[in-house]
Amino acid sequence: MSSSPRNRSSSTITVVVVAFVLIALAALAVVSGTGQAFVTGLYPPVAVTEQGAKVRDLYTIVFALAVVIFVLVEGLIIWTVIRYRRKPGDDMLPAQTHGNNVAELAWTIIPTIIVAFLFVISWQTLNEVDATSASAQTRIRAVAGQFQWQFDYLADDGQTVQYTQQLATGDGGGLYVPAGRNIQLSLTSQDVIHAFYVPQFLFKRDVVPGRVNKFDFKVDAADAGQTFRGQCAELCGAGHRLMLFEVHALAPADFDAWLADAIANASATPPPAPSGPATPSGQPAPSGQAAGPTLQVSAQNIAYEQSSLEAPAGTPFSIEFDNKDAGVPHNVSIHKDSASGEEVFKGDIFPGPAQKTYDVPPLPAGTYAFVCSVHPNMTGTLTVK
Amino acid sequence: MATTTLTPAATTYQTGLYAWLTTTDHKKIGIMYLINSFVFFFIAGIMALGVRTELAQPGLQFFTDLQYNELFSMHATFMIFVFIIPILAGFANYVVPLQIGAPDMAFPRINALSFWMLPLAGIILLLGFVTGGTAAAGWTSYPPLSEDRPLAAIGAGQDLWIVGLVLIGTSSILGAINFLVTIFKMRAPGMTLFRMPILVWTVLVTSVLVLMATPVITSALIMLFIDRNYGGSFFDPRVGGDPILYQNIFWFYSHPAVYVMILPAMGMISEILPVFSRKPLFGYKAFIFATAGIGALGFSVWAHHMFTTGAVYLPFFSLMTFLIAVPTGVKMFNWIFTLWRGKLSLNPPLLFALGFLSMFLIGGIDGAFSASVPVDFALHDTYWVVAHLHYVLFGGSVFGVMAGFYFYFPKMTGRMLNETVGKLQFVVMFIGFNLTFFPMHELGLAGMPRRIADYSSTAGWNDLNLLATIGGFTIAASMALFLWNVFVSLRSGAIAGDDPWEGNTLEWATTSPPPPYNFDHLPEIRSERPLFDVRHGRTAAH
Amino acid sequence: MTADSHALVTAEHTPIAGLSHDRRGGISNPVLGMLLFITSEVMFFGGLFAAYFSVRANAATWPPEEFHGTLQIFPLVGPATVLLILSSFTCQFAVWGIRRDDRTAFLRSMTVTVILGITFLLMQGTDYTALGSEGLTLSSGTFGTTYYTLTGFHGAHVFGGVIMLSVVLYRGMAGQFSARHHDAVEGASLYWHFVDVVWILLFSLLYLLPGR
Repeated sequence: MSSSPRNRSSSTITVVVVAFVLIALAALAVVSGTGQAFVTGLYPPVAVTEQGAKVRDLYTIVFALAVVIFVLVEGLIIWTVIRYRRKPGDDMLPAQTHGNNVAELAWTIIPTIIVAFLFVISWQTLNEVDATSASAQTRIRAVAGQFQWQFDYLADDGQTVQYTQQLATGDGGGLYVPAGRNIQLSLTSQDVIHAFYVPQFLFKRDVVPGRVNKFDFKVDAADAGQTFRGQCAELCGAGHRLMLFEVHALAPADFDAWLADAIANASATPPPAPSGPATPSGQPAPSGQAAGPTLQVSAQNIAYEQSSLEAPAGTPFSIEFDNKDAGVPHNVSIHKDSASGEEVFKGDIFPGPAQKTYDVPPLPAGTYAFVCSVHPNMTGTLTVK
Repeated sequence: MATTTLTPAATTYQTGLYAWLTTTDHKKIGIMYLINSFVFFFIAGIMALGVRTELAQPGLQFFTDLQYNELFSMHATFMIFVFIIPILAGFANYVVPLQIGAPDMAFPRINALSFWMLPLAGIILLLGFVTGGTAAAGWTSYPPLSEDRPLAAIGAGQDLWIVGLVLIGTSSILGAINFLVTIFKMRAPGMTLFRMPILVWTVLVTSVLVLMATPVITSALIMLFIDRNYGGSFFDPRVGGDPILYQNIFWFYSHPAVYVMILPAMGMISEILPVFSRKPLFGYKAFIFATAGIGALGFSVWAHHMFTTGAVYLPFFSLMTFLIAVPTGVKMFNWIFTLWRGKLSLNPPLLFALGFLSMFLIGGIDGAFSASVPVDFALHDTYWVVAHLHYVLFGGSVFGVMAGFYFYFPKMTGRMLNETVGKLQFVVMFIGFNLTFFPMHELGLAGMPRRIADYSSTAGWNDLNLLATIGGFTIAASMALFLWNVFVSLRSGAIAGDDPWEGNTLEWATTSPPPPYNFDHLPEIRSERPLFDVRHGRTAAH
Repeated sequence: MTADSHALVTAEHTPIAGLSHDRRGGISNPVLGMLLFITSEVMFFGGLFAAYFSVRANAATWPPEEFHGTLQIFPLVGPATVLLILSSFTCQFAVWGIRRDDRTAFLRSMTVTVILGITFLLMQGTDYTALGSEGLTLSSGTFGTTYYTLTGFHGAHVFGGVIMLSVVLYRGMAGQFSARHHDAVEGASLYWHFVDVVWILLFSLLYLLPGR
């Protein structure tokens, strides 16, 4: 007497549903650009490494199979729903088919063959992608911590550090690599689990404390001069989203020059003196007090404890910087107008817990931002007047 | 022939609060499971809206990083442990004794205990919000991050989380024991194992999984607790521990757990499709073997969550993961061919079941991508995984729950849910769901990692994130429709009668709602569709 | 709401199996329930054992230098093991006793079992104190953490078993068991045997397996 199926035929609802879905898909196409963009979006980015290209080829095959299977099965569902809707008033039972063993065998055996095929081609690609060789031409160690990346360029023995790249992003920062050469990257963590992920490599690998993971990659020679973004991909705490890095691919000769330069600069710089400003003119700093006031700045938990500072215009002044974060590198740098403005001062980067005094040269009056070069989210306002 | 029945004048339930608090009746307990689960579903849903609101546009607008981490960690924790696993146990609690012709579960008092541990655990989990912060290391709580070392950014909330989960695990294990003894020992005469409804079979397999897997995560959680509070060295590498050990033990449970989260929903789908197609389930026995196969294989794939750690034997886990697609496909085809050449009535239970089939198909295909290790290297820990897990758990399990809810609400309350509102809820939910989660495939492919409170405005992810947020609020709207339907129908829905859907199985052979101890007499049981047989003259008495 | 719409055929007159023993015989509900519970406990210990094996396999030397010779079978742990094994025997005597309706034998054997169980716990506790004074604690690296976690959780299960057996003993003294009705005795004894087997395994791994 109540709503038994025989009283409830809804022929219009299917049409309405289908219409809604199509409208939604159209809306999706509009919002995310053209329909073309939608399809492209279903693909990973174009790979810039040899290994990544192989993964992308594999993806193409998996994707093609996925589309075919989806269209077939979903099509079957939709067609069945439209074709076999009960007509109002039809009380006859349909044929009470209990099953069909041939069908069961078919849709057991065929999918098994398909997945076996997918497994085999995946395994083949894996062997190519995951191979680490003893003959890597460039060895780099990525050191992940909460919340920054640091890259150690290693000598051929894989142990001696020739140069440490302290900044992962920004001016002069990032992972510089030679395109066209085989690079071996080893991954170490200072604290919790992180992950090294470059979307354009179509690759990521966890950075696990207590373990050293290694992988090889070779950026295509054609991609020399490009920069790729990278990011930590394993939740590592409150600063997880901040652990960005850039990969700069250089032509081999450019890379060799860059590295030699970096090594030279690193050894030429005197060991960080308590009061050694990095003036652009390279003038030796007057040791001893600066004439102006001393500002106190401290950093803890990847944040400055001060949000605004004031300094007099036209007078050199000092910043006493207390880095309270154990094992985490910080500094204080000053940028014109805002954190993304031109850098006018950069203090030495050092890990805590430690203190350093920076001597800052005179600045014209105006608004500035003080920023940590390693963690650009750490910022505050400096008013000079 | 004369029949004496125990038909009461009004509902058979004592309505007093005391009666509900002290009941050991599986039907009341089942309903309480449903209510408790939905309460936490909405709490977790609001957390999800918080996540989506923050991600709608680049820039950290509403929450701090730590608060955001707490939001998604607790969203997942509540959804998995206090919503989907218990609600399916609740449906099983209500329906299984009825479907096998039993008067109650084997251990009614333990049944009550299993239930009451859940609101307690839910409250313990919520307490984190008022004691300085909940767990914020993801629902997976990987050490060393979850051991607060070195940055003590997470406080006692992680310990409350551990306690809550151990409570819930105990509740589940006791429930599994109850289901297994009930199913093995309390079936009505004539109901052999291979005449049991598929829902009972899926509950059986689920209960085996719960029994064997849940204690393993209990051990992982206890080891984590010891590390955190007693200076233990299980997982901290600085004192000789191994973070990967945690992942192995954790996922040994958490992978079978996903089958715990879907099999009973698949069981309900398998009851609904035959009723609304007016033909039997296609391939009943094959279905059972496929379910058992999934349960067994499910124990062999756990390390596919750890492909990028560099610490697992990749080919084995990749192969087993691919293989599990086979029994899943068998079930999919059996469902479709149940519909094939049937006579379909597009009522809400069937609509939600169709939504289940389509969305679970996508979620399953997503899984095939992740099973391919090199592809997983690109997709792991990105929004691709968020898309995949929501297609199977929301598109699959939640649509299955909605199907089961619309199907069984009449039996539980004696009233029908409103059909039109139900159909509208389906359409809005379907659209909202796809708007939210389909773009996440693209976001993951483009490189957006999981578990980030904010993203760079120049990464190209802005539009899709905004779209996903719009979808999220659309889902919320569909839930408002759902709640409205429930409350209005409880008061003034059409009277259902014993068997509003022309069901096949024994639960429809008694009143709606059933009396205490369920049946005054049982029909003859000669097949997996006892009521169908009676209705169409296939019993000896006719 | 009437049931006329049923027009159902009454099934053969068998009570819908609500009893823990039904006419079809076989294992009783509580005993099946206990066996399933023990299965879950096996998996719990499985997780802990897996951690132990992993930790031990990854260690360069085991036991670590500072704990060479700390774990001693005598004077406490070895004899305690013997007592626990003995208690399984006495527990089984109790079960056999009640099965043949010999309440006296049942009560006597069960009492001895409970006493032996408590003695095991006391000896374990004393051993813990001795080990603690030698510097082995939960926070003594992987060796200490695994030792105390494994034996500690086993001890907790022994404690639970003692409680269970004491309740059974109390109920037995109150005359609640007979040859026909003693499911709780069967169930508790199965649990007790399980606890004993786990200890034999644990003892072998921790004390008998040669290190490196």
